[in-house]
Formats: sequence, structure tokens, C-alpha cells
Amino acid sequence: MMQKKSISVFLNGILILLMAMCILQGAIAGGQKEGSKEEQGVMLKPMEGVKGPFAGGGWTFPSRPIKISIWWHEYAPFTKYVKELAERYQKLHPNVTIEQVVASQADLNQKLTVALASGTGPNILDQDISFFAAYYDKGVLEPIDLQVFGGAKLSDIQNEYIGKVLEGVTFGGNIYGLPYQANSMSLVHNLKAYREVGLDFAKDAPKTWEDLKRVGAKLKKVEGGRTVRKGFDFPYQSKRWQLQALQPIIEQFGGTVLDENKKSNLAKEPAIKALELWRDVTKVTGDPKYSLATPSDPNVDFIDGRTAIWYTGPWATNQLKERFGQPYKDWAFTSIAQLDPAHPKTMMYGFTWGVNKDKPAIEKKVAWDFVRFMLANPEEWIIKASFIQPRKGLMETKAAKEFPYIEVHLKDIETASWYVRSVHTNEIVENVGRAIEMVIFQGIEPREALKAADSELSKILDGK
Amino acid sequence: MRKLHVSTRINRWAYLFVLPTVLILLVFRFIPMTAAGYLSLTNYDLFSRPKLIGIKNFIDLLHDASFLQAVRVSFTYVIGSVIPVWILSLLLALMTVKLRKGGGIFRTLIFIPVVLAPVVVAVLWRFLYFEYGLVNEILRFFGVSPVPWLTHPTAAILALIHIGIWRASPYFMVIFTAGLQAIPEEFYEAGRIDGTNAISEFFYITLPILKPIFLLVIVISVITALKVFEIPQLMTDGGPAGATEVIPLHIYKTGFVYFKMGRAAAMSILLFFIMMVFSWIQVKLFSENR
Repeated sequence: MMQKKSISVFLNGILILLMAMCILQGAIAGGQKEGSKEEQGVMLKPMEGVKGPFAGGGWTFPSRPIKISIWWHEYAPFTKYVKELAERYQKLHPNVTIEQVVASQADLNQKLTVALASGTGPNILDQDISFFAAYYDKGVLEPIDLQVFGGAKLSDIQNEYIGKVLEGVTFGGNIYGLPYQANSMSLVHNLKAYREVGLDFAKDAPKTWEDLKRVGAKLKKVEGGRTVRKGFDFPYQSKRWQLQALQPIIEQFGGTVLDENKKSNLAKEPAIKALELWRDVTKVTGDPKYSLATPSDPNVDFIDGRTAIWYTGPWATNQLKERFGQPYKDWAFTSIAQLDPAHPKTMMYGFTWGVNKDKPAIEKKVAWDFVRFMLANPEEWIIKASFIQPRKGLMETKAAKEFPYIEVHLKDIETASWYVRSVHTNEIVENVGRAIEMVIFQGIEPREALKAADSELSKILDGK
Repeated sequence: MRKLHVSTRINRWAYLFVLPTVLILLVFRFIPMTAAGYLSLTNYDLFSRPKLIGIKNFIDLLHDASFLQAVRVSFTYVIGSVIPVWILSLLLALMTVKLRKGGGIFRTLIFIPVVLAPVVVAVLWRFLYFEYGLVNEILRFFGVSPVPWLTHPTAAILALIHIGIWRASPYFMVIFTAGLQAIPEEFYEAGRIDGTNAISEFFYITLPILKPIFLLVIVISVITALKVFEIPQLMTDGGPAGATEVIPLHIYKTGFVYFKMGRAAAMSILLFFIMMVFSWIQVKLFSENR
């Protein structure tokens, strides 16, 4: 009898505890009503020294404590700068706490996907623009909050950017992200190596693929059967980079990766010729086995002198300055080689801030305001992170004029088409990467490798 | 009041003590497994609500060239790594048991690969297998042409198999050592009286007594090899050209990179059944041979 009574008391105690927790949870949730129109706060003024919609202001910034989170991919100068921006924003708005998570890009892709799917994603996400089509398709993204941009119109935001840059984040007529970085991929040259083999960079810098083969062959150094330095090599540390390198070559041959109906063009002649060219250049100038590059340190082969010409973007500028030497003296950028230099075809990709739809309204508003704040000064992005924000008027700034080879990067962006953007981008990347590896590492003919890739990809794109 | 029987009171306490473990297994194993079973019958893409599509995922897998390649790669890895593991781990155990002095130190040093984190192992071996890394330098020293370990499809899977053997053998050595140390010395004494030598002792005394240990080692080593993931992902990411994309890595990419969680769940269920069938066959074989 005593035993039964004590069990009963114990169970009643648990029941009371559970009820108390429910009441407490309800009280907390009740205090954070979403969409409350009665937020108390301070009317924000536009940022000083910033013109246009990115100056913001003209809305009531909430005064209660707000916590937002931001995740981004690791790259040392970029990480340092974003942390600095977060600190500045928190000083400006002491009631805001910004929780920051940094991960390698490969990890971030999966971490973000799982988090978004499970409802634990950040308020602000950083992602390659090629993912945005899939994220929009899955209903993850919040459209731009124009109120935090000083009540601007969509056209005002679009007018801030050069060319058709915002096409990559515009869906259904609305903008779902803002790029903080747009990159062409260009060639970076080791000028010390040029001098060493008696080449004059000013005259000998390769403009065509034939030039690259000729110059690359001279720059390549083999001693005792070992490659000591490659002349030029395509990237192999990441399949995403491989597609970035192959896509403009396909376009130089008059093709595209996907046709206008988003079907695979990999088995067509332009793609086959592009991969044949890749193989032929590699045979003369490269050695894919001789590489220590990884996705998180893609430029290491160039920096360590294992290759004289490499394939990278303007974001590498600070790293090159710190670890390799001086621009114009020790290294230089040129556009990628062309079949027809008079009609150049290059590729552009970009990283973009997006806002998570699955958050309380006030957090989304503050998140967009922080995005606005981060992007308000494109000149500073160049100085601190070597990132080129594709914004109008950038070339007139002092930082841009002093940025080594910015004219090369901006010219390449102007002649660029976007990196493949599709709900199935990751699968396209995987299949193209496999085809390239089959050709380079297994000696399979490009036609055969691309036929296999095309067959696999067609099933995926047809939804099978 | 009638007092409960002692055995009933003991049973109740026993259930109470195992309850936390059962709850943990339920929450972190059985419920997710059941959820995976359900998801395998849907077109779940991580973002939209799962929609039932019956066994379409399983049927599609039969024609999925990349999945079938992953199965081939996994089986190559399993067969290539587990048989040497069984032999090597038993040999190491026999050696350490025979060592009168330093056996403990020897076992500790050999066990190091087991305790190294997979990331450390991957980075370490990536450098060792580099074109001009230590492995190729040793080959060159002996007049052998260097091998493109991580860029040639056959060499890459061999490199992974080697790492698998290097990591697994010390672990199973410890299991065999425990088994060997449990064999009563009287059995060997009796054998010597009957005129056995070291070889016949091994085949007629040691091996038969170690049979249950063998069953454990075989089943666990095969399951572990089928589940290998970190080393292929970190060293080669399944390349070159899918030559090292084992089933778990393919499942991961299907679910988290291509957002096809339903299909990934179907692959997981298939992998689970392969392991169950294998384990059942082994248990049957070993119990029939008693």
C-alpha cells in the first residue's frame, strides 16, 4: 500500500512538472508574437556616407532583444571581415545579438541543407548562387524586404547592380538574395617563372589555347622524370571548379551545358570538343597527379610553385599578396584563354546572402537590415576581403582603382555567362566532374565519357 | 500485505536499470530506422512533405548505374580488406601472446591506428600517397615505378583497402588476443603429451576453440567495412570517376547533396538487408559446423 502511494505521488509530481513547463513555454511564446504590429523602437536614419537604397533607414528598428544567426563559408579574409561587420552592427544596435557560424564550403552545403530542412537553419545564409534556384524551389528563401532599404522599389535595387547579375537571385519577379561577391575565373601567372625560362610576360601572356599550350610547355619543368613545376593545369580539387573551367570552353565552341529547355547538351559536339581540348592542353602543360590542392586551399599549388599558371578568381588577391609576392612584379592576372579572343566567352559565379523564410517576421526584417548593412560599402569589401561586389560605380572608387587587375576581372564579368543554375546543379557538377576524371585519369575518350554523363544526367533532368 | 517474491523484485529492478539504454536505443536507433523505412517509400527531398510512391525507389535503384557502381566498389573494398584483416589480426594476436616481455607495449603501439581520428588518417595518408610522397619514394628506392595512388581508379581503391587493413587489424588483434588468453593451458599440455607440434596445436586446438571469436570478428569486420565512409570522403570524395565511391558515401551524396532523401533511405534499407543476410549466413554456417 505504501509502495503504491509513493508511485502515485511520483507520477503526480511528473504530471505537475510537465504542465508547468507547458505553461512556461506558452508564456515565452506569447511574449514573442510574430507579426506584431506594435513593435517599440527607434526610427532609423539612413547610413551616413552611403547613397541609394543601401543607406536604408526610414523604419522603426525594434528595441527589444533580438537574436539572429548567420552562417558562412570559411575563407580567412572574408571571415575576418564578416566578424568585424557583425561587431559594428551589434555596437550600432546593442539589443541585437548575432550568432556566427563558420564552416568549410563543402561542410556548409550539407550543414545548411539539413538545418534548413529541419527548421534549425540560420536567419542569414551564405551560398553559391547556383544553389538559389533549388532553395527557391523548396520554399526556403524570404524575398527582399524593401522597407529596410529605405522603402526602395525593386527596380532601385536592380539598378544598383551591373549587367544581369541579379538574374541569378530573381524568381517570380522578386529578389531572393543579394550577391556579396561575383567572380570571373581568370588565369594567374607566376612572373618569376616566366623570367626564369626567358619569356616576356608582356608579349608572351597567352590569349588563345594554342598560346597557352606553347607557353605552358616552356614553363613546365621536369627533372629526372619528375614534374617539378607544371606549366598550367586545370583544377581537380573540386568537381564544382571543374565545371567552372569547362563551361566557358563549351561556350567558346558554341554550345552550352544545358539547352533552353534545361536538357543536357553534354553529348553534343561543343562539349566533346571542349573536353578534348582540356585533355590535349593537360598532356602538354599539366600533371594532375602532382597536386596538393584541396577545396579549402585551392591555390596552394600556385603559391607553393607547383604550377606556373593557375586558374582562380579575384578573391585570391589578398592571399596571393600575402603568400606569393607583389602584383605586377611577381604575379599577374589575365582572362582565360579563348578560341577567338575577339569574341571572348567567360564564366561568372557568385556567393550570395539569403534570408531564411522560416523565422519570425521581426528576425527576418533585422536579418535583411544586417544584409543591407554588410553590403552598404562595396569599396570596403574589396579592401578587406578582395571580393568584388558587382555594383555600379565600383570602378570609380579608390579601392577599385587600386585593386590589382580589376579591369581584367570586370571585363571577364561583362563577357560572362552565369555558372549553371538549376535545381539539379549538384548532380550536373557530379556527372561532369566524373566525365572529366574518366578522361584524364582513366584515358577514356571524351566522347564516350560524355555520352555516359549525358545519359545519367538526362535521367536526372527528366525526373527519373 | 503480501510481499513480492524476491525474483519478481529483482526483475523489476533489472528492467529499471536497462530502461535508460532501451530508451536511448529506441530514440537514436529504432525510431530513426523505422523513419528511414517509411522515407524509403517516399519522394522526400528534405524540404517538401514526403509523398508515398511505394517501392519506386527500390525499383529505380536496380537500374541506377551510379548505385550499382557503388555496390561493386563496396564489395571490392570488403573482400579486399576483410580477408587480410582476419589473417593479419590473428597473426598479430598470436605474436603478442607469445611475447614474454614487451607484449603489452607492442599491442599498445600497434593499436595507434585505431585511435587516430579519421581526419588525421586521411590527411596523413594523402601526403604519404602523394605522387612524390613517402610511399612512392620507397618504391623508387627499390627501382619500382611510382604509382598514381589517388588518381588511378585501381590504385585508389587499393590505397583505401590498405588503409582499411591498417586501421582494422589492431582492433581485431585485441579481440583475438582475449580469445587466445582464455584458452586453458591444460589443452596444450594434453596435446603435447599426445605428441602435437606447434602447427597441429594451432589447427586442432587453437582454431576450433577460437571459432566463436572468429564468428564475431568476421561479422563485425564485414559490417564495419560495408559502413566505411570518412576515409573515402576525405581522401578522394569517391573519385577518381567514382572508383572509390562506396555505398555509404553514395547514400550521403544522394541524400544531402542531391536532396533525394527518399532514394537515400531506400539505399540504406538495402544496405541494412545485405548486412543482415550476411550475418545470418555466417551464424548459420558456424552453428551447423559445431
